[in-house]
Amino acid sequence: MTNNQRKIKLRNGNQMIAEGAIYAGCKFFAGYPITPASGIYKGMIDMLPHVGGLAIPAPDEISAIAYCVGASMRGIKSMTATSGPGWSLMVETVQYALITETPLVIAMVQRLGPATGGATQGAQGDILFSEFITSGGYTIPVLYPSNPKECFELTVKAFNWSEKFRIPVVILTDKEIGMTTETVDYTGLKNLTVIDRNTISANSTESNNWQMYEFKSLSDVPRFAPVGGKFKVTATGSAHNKNGELKKNDPETISVLIHLEEKINGHLEEFVDLILDEDKDAKTLIISFGITAKTMKEVIKISRRNNNKVSGLTIRALYPIPESQLKEISKPYERIIIPEENLSGQYRKLVHHLFEGKEVIGINKIGSMINPNEILEKIL
Amino acid sequence: MRHDLSQINIEIECTYMTKGAVMPFCKGCGHTHILRKLDEALIKLNLNPHDVCLVTDIGCIGLADYLFDKVHTVHTTHGRSTAFATGIALADKVLSTKNLKTIVLIGDGGAMIGLLHIVNAALLNTDVTVIVANNFLFGMTGGQQSSFSPLEFITQTSPYGNIIPPLDLCKVAMSSKAQFVARKISTDKDLVDVFADAISYDGFSIVEVLELCTEYAVEKNKLTGKDLQRIAEEHDHHLGILENRKTRSEFSLEYSEKILSNKKTLDLFNNFINAENLEIDFTKKFGKEKLEIIIAGSAGEKVQSSAAILCQVAAQSGFFITQKNDNPVTQGSGFSLSEVIISSEEIFYTGVDNPFAFIIVSSDALNEIISQRLFEKVNKNTIIIYDESLEIPIKTEKMYSLPLRRVCSPNKAALGGIDVLLNLTEPFPLQLFYSEIEKRFGKYDALYKDNLIKILTEKSTK
Ligand code: SF4
Ligand SMILES: [Mg+2]
Repeated sequence: MTNNQRKIKLRNGNQMIAEGAIYAGCKFFAGYPITPASGIYKGMIDMLPHVGGLAIPAPDEISAIAYCVGASMRGIKSMTATSGPGWSLMVETVQYALITETPLVIAMVQRLGPATGGATQGAQGDILFSEFITSGGYTIPVLYPSNPKECFELTVKAFNWSEKFRIPVVILTDKEIGMTTETVDYTGLKNLTVIDRNTISANSTESNNWQMYEFKSLSDVPRFAPVGGKFKVTATGSAHNKNGELKKNDPETISVLIHLEEKINGHLEEFVDLILDEDKDAKTLIISFGITAKTMKEVIKISRRNNNKVSGLTIRALYPIPESQLKEISKPYERIIIPEENLSGQYRKLVHHLFEGKEVIGINKIGSMINPNEILEKIL
Repeated sequence: MRHDLSQINIEIECTYMTKGAVMPFCKGCGHTHILRKLDEALIKLNLNPHDVCLVTDIGCIGLADYLFDKVHTVHTTHGRSTAFATGIALADKVLSTKNLKTIVLIGDGGAMIGLLHIVNAALLNTDVTVIVANNFLFGMTGGQQSSFSPLEFITQTSPYGNIIPPLDLCKVAMSSKAQFVARKISTDKDLVDVFADAISYDGFSIVEVLELCTEYAVEKNKLTGKDLQRIAEEHDHHLGILENRKTRSEFSLEYSEKILSNKKTLDLFNNFINAENLEIDFTKKFGKEKLEIIIAGSAGEKVQSSAAILCQVAAQSGFFITQKNDNPVTQGSGFSLSEVIISSEEIFYTGVDNPFAFIIVSSDALNEIISQRLFEKVNKNTIIIYDESLEIPIKTEKMYSLPLRRVCSPNKAALGGIDVLLNLTEPFPLQLFYSEIEKRFGKYDALYKDNLIKILTEKSTK
């Protein structure tokens, strides 16, 4: 049973995202209230002044995310938080962060959609909406913790990815993860690595070689220069060359557009975050994420207690889709079960083709959590 | 292209503009005037190039960034320029060098789509200067009317003359508490000085500049530069410096004085719960490994915080807990409900399927439990502790009707119910609970022991 070696606090996912952000060195947060994400805003308002940071109320989500992009361009690690309705408004500026290669973390706590939907009801309805929001179909890495402790861990990871690759990163959760308080064991959290963006040194004398969006190989990440520093920033939301100059029908400009995606494609291994709980003799593999991954763990516990064999895979990084890993991991199984708290099996439809020759079953519903029994009865 | 702005000597260069750059605008376009005057204003202020950031919007005026190669430029999305600039300025003034001058160049179209950003930058009083190039229409897209088009103005989309009055942006800025507000004409002799004053103003400033789109406005409306003053006057849009005060301090000063001054040490890895190492087996004791408890009352009656006390004490006793709260969208009225799970093993599934106990202390709570059909999950062993005023529509073998509201007061009815439950079932030693109550509310005995427990003992001996 429990013991006093564990470092316990009572925390919900929203609080742990805020704490993870502070740990990662976030110094700027702009927020707009929305259930079920407001706890993150509140957490940042409470904590940021104590680390010399700034948490500021914005008059809408469009302003909130734009303030964050501006602050990040000034060189400050920034985050905002919202839910589906606010995310709708942020979509324009997420793309702006992407094309200007501005690091940014957006926490998105899912609630029941569409539109205003159910403000206080959980859902996993934004699995597609969190990702497929760019004109041009660029990859936005999406991390999805399945408990408050992972909220901390993966928020740190979201900042690390965002800083290292100069990209917007989404930390996706849901109302159940965000607002349910749990006993959280902090063991290990103190040792997480924090990565800062590769900023060109103010003492650098290579001023004439440096370019705003420099890269040799398409997947290289340009060194960052802050607005207000000595290196001239030329940022633009328009298609641009390596100097940040707007150029039409120009091969270099097209290569910059390709580079934006290649930064991710060229480092796919780094974006994989999977946890496999394997039973070698099992015929069924359950694949899940977020609140459903928690339920899956319950299912595995019950099954194994009854000597039924089953394996479970928690996907903590939904995007980029870990295609080769999913193919490889699923090999030994006859049946793949993908429970999701949405109507159509949003992630299942994206990965279905990776499981050729296998029976792929979705368990889908909205309005309440998927119950362990609903999964248990589908295990071979 | 020169990248190191610190090596640029403006006194030698005599301009912040790009050498040899050709103005991309149509002949006679007001934008040319405005940008040249902006350059002169920067020269007058003799600012370090790397301490200047031009944030440009969409539209013809948004072509300005490549005309200024000796300052930072950020070309943004339509209308959002002021919001990005606000983020840049806030981060600079609160978290960085505090030297940056952030200047927005926006058209009338952008000013309207991003009006909220202008309003909020003014309310914040952050150090951003917004220069609005107002030519009364959308030039880049072919001369459509804008929210700044004068009445009767002929544009591509107002062929019979505009019938919607134009916005008085300066008035909006003033009502947003902006302290430096000016409306000028692009050919004004003192435009350079007004720009310079606006830029050096420590806080939010806005200069709306009336100008002509020679391509789309002039011919159709038979205008010359002289008509700009007339247009303003006809709409009662005042010209000149309309506001220049210093009664509010710039945002970062307010922030340091009133917020950052509250700074305390923040240690994320401190204040852990001192968990006991109690070997308690719920399965042996209750026949189930986790206790699912529903605590329900009315909003404002401390239901969720009472449930949190239960969780705190359970965690101190070494258990895993989850607490899920529910209330109507309007948080201050109607029901308030907490689902608590206490278990000796890690809790994965946080739903309640097999409730150990209900604590129901108000009719709001009862109605909600009925409407969420939570009673369908009850079995004969489920403990139901409820206020004497309620009619519970189901029966179990463990029903306790108690004067919770009357004895404990509505605000502590839920806590009283929890007390009863713990006394009844003793899932863990109660001393921790008592001392937690004492810590928060003073002596435990005075609160409950004398009355509730007595009633309870009488009931159970009955
Ligand atoms: S279209 Fe109008 S606003 Fe645009 S450059 Fe020509 S004159 Fe100027
Ligand atoms: Mg215009």
